[in-house]
Amino acid sequence: MALSSALLPRVGWAAAASDVTLEIAPYLLEASPRHHFRTVAYNGQVPGPLLRMRPGQEQSIEIHNHSGDPEIVHWHGLYLPPSIDGSMEEGTPMIAPGGSVRYSFKPDPPGFRWFHTHTFAGKDLTKAQFGGLHGFVMIEARDNPGRYDREVFLALHDWGGHFEGNDDGFMNPVYDVSTINGKMLGFGDPLRVKQGERVLMHVLNSSPTEVHWIALAGHGFRVIALDGNEVQQPQTIAMLRLAPAERVSAIVEMKSPGVWILGEVRKHVQAAGMGIVIEYAGATGKPVWTQPEDLVWNYQQFAGRGTAPSGTAPGDDPAIPIVLAFDSKFQGHGNEELWRINGKSYPHTDEPVLTAGRRYRLIMKNLSMDDHPMHLHRHTFEVRQVDGSPEMHGLWKDVVLVRAKSTAEVEFLANHPGRTLFHCHQQDHMDRGFMMVFRYA
Amino acid sequence: MLRTLREEHGRSISHCLPLFLLVLSLCFFFLSGVALAQGNYEIQVYGVDTVPPKNLMVELHSNYTVSGQTKTIDGVFPTNHQEHETLELTEGINDWAEVGFYVFTSWQDGHGVQWVGDHIRPRVRAPEKWHLPVGLSLSTEIGYQRAVYSSDTWTWEIRPIIDKTLGRWYLAFNPALERTLHGPDVHQGLGFSPAAKVSYDFTRKISGGIEYYADYGRIGDFAPLRAQQQQIFVVTDLNVSPKWEINLGVGLGPTAATDHLIVKGILGRRFDWGRKSPVD
Repeated sequence: MALSSALLPRVGWAAAASDVTLEIAPYLLEASPRHHFRTVAYNGQVPGPLLRMRPGQEQSIEIHNHSGDPEIVHWHGLYLPPSIDGSMEEGTPMIAPGGSVRYSFKPDPPGFRWFHTHTFAGKDLTKAQFGGLHGFVMIEARDNPGRYDREVFLALHDWGGHFEGNDDGFMNPVYDVSTINGKMLGFGDPLRVKQGERVLMHVLNSSPTEVHWIALAGHGFRVIALDGNEVQQPQTIAMLRLAPAERVSAIVEMKSPGVWILGEVRKHVQAAGMGIVIEYAGATGKPVWTQPEDLVWNYQQFAGRGTAPSGTAPGDDPAIPIVLAFDSKFQGHGNEELWRINGKSYPHTDEPVLTAGRRYRLIMKNLSMDDHPMHLHRHTFEVRQVDGSPEMHGLWKDVVLVRAKSTAEVEFLANHPGRTLFHCHQQDHMDRGFMMVFRYA
Repeated sequence: MLRTLREEHGRSISHCLPLFLLVLSLCFFFLSGVALAQGNYEIQVYGVDTVPPKNLMVELHSNYTVSGQTKTIDGVFPTNHQEHETLELTEGINDWAEVGFYVFTSWQDGHGVQWVGDHIRPRVRAPEKWHLPVGLSLSTEIGYQRAVYSSDTWTWEIRPIIDKTLGRWYLAFNPALERTLHGPDVHQGLGFSPAAKVSYDFTRKISGGIEYYADYGRIGDFAPLRAQQQQIFVVTDLNVSPKWEINLGVGLGPTAATDHLIVKGILGRRFDWGRKSPVD
């Protein structure tokens, strides 16, 4: 948990260098020699820099906005005060064009987190999360959840978005190019590995709107953490599914020498570039891809088995239910939908009041025809039911995909006072009102 | 010539003005005194959207002339009480092009069911990613129809398409140009045949509006009003499913050269023959 934070005055900055400096500036991304995107990036790279931090060890952060738009940096998955969490809905100040800000915090909780812009894109599908403003944060755990030889960070992203209306009036962005770490398949450096190596892959879906499915031909993933939180039942599986903003940490044992493709399972997305070559030392030849025939994933396999351990079960301290119904308001065929929580769109959504120290159960009823990756700021929640599953425990996340026409239930302890944003992490849904704020009594 | 005025599936504009615009349009129509008559095989105002690739749109256009021409003129059967059934097959090529194919048929007491002719219609559109303030598309259509149904047997048409969605309102304009390739009007040059549509989404599933179709005659030498084709339809679109298209309308034609009362219906079904697997 962040023990202290401070917004520092501009004067006196030069006196001490910050631990982390983020320069927000225009950037030309070369996804391939034939695919360039004018975007905005952190420190002249996409994804932004990997920030490694120690839990509880104070970090000073300095951010300079050299772009032409107001910016804000959200520290996704961290327990930070609303003043620096990075959401203007919570009260974090925007950084004006040409402006700078400096603050400090003690990072918590340990695990794979990330940082990204939290601005509005509207119909400009180059702005906000549609662009290149995202990067990794690794808050080093004292005890690693799995034995590994090296770590690799991979960000899945989609570029060149444009709206295509369908006949039912919804507007869903589609993309020209999809990348891993900013490069299309075959155009970035291969990931070079050695036989027998155990590679811990930290995979982030930073896509503004798309769920992605990832497989590595000839290999399986030993999933040890979701959204940076250790899972109770690590599983070795053939593919990963990541909704926007979700993260998966998985160990891959390199025991099949060759040249392989790690890429999107869906053919049209991999054809758009989402893939990276995995090359064993000494191996040559054309990268090999083995096409799966189905999309397979469920959250339940990672949850704890049996009854919930004492202290986390709602039976000890019954969680207070908060029912949230998601739907959309029709505004004309071919026109944008307005997204609603309990019949209201942000900024007109309700502001439920939380009492510090109490557990709450969010009962999310998705009445719409779309899946929604729901994110709660500044807290970690426990997924209790999803996709019609029986009651689960021990699956801790900060984003959960609530499937269309289904109900998902999560519980969290209200232990980080302050305004707390809750929203669909699909950028176009956020922009059209799919947000609400919890506040503490 | 066989008019191909097409309206695509619903689109939209805001609230409260729908009736006003409807009345305004009707006033314009009747006060202007313009009139029309048309082939009545495919009565549709074109929207900009094209059929997606690996999709086949199958449409049946059913039009019945309740009150039309009662005499045989220049060997062309009278249109009165003719029932026209047109099969339209449209295949998406990519995200900005499609090709349509038509089979026109007619049923009439005394003539039975008759094949009338066939047309082919390639169409392209400005892709969505161009982010134009209005939708733009260009259609061209060429085909044959038997002389007993149209004295001009080979015709060609080029149809610019402009449309715009404003909230629940949808506007479309088709300033089409036509040319006869074989028939009495072969030396007439280019004719001007505009069509337009204004509709309003009353609900997600029900839209209503008006469609206007006209043939003014040769560009630079428009026909006198009584010889022009002018027609206006009150229509509704039922958007029951993304796979289905349903359009119903009643059209009035006040000029001598226009069929006076027509009832039309379009039933369309989209077939997606791609993406058989979740991983495609």
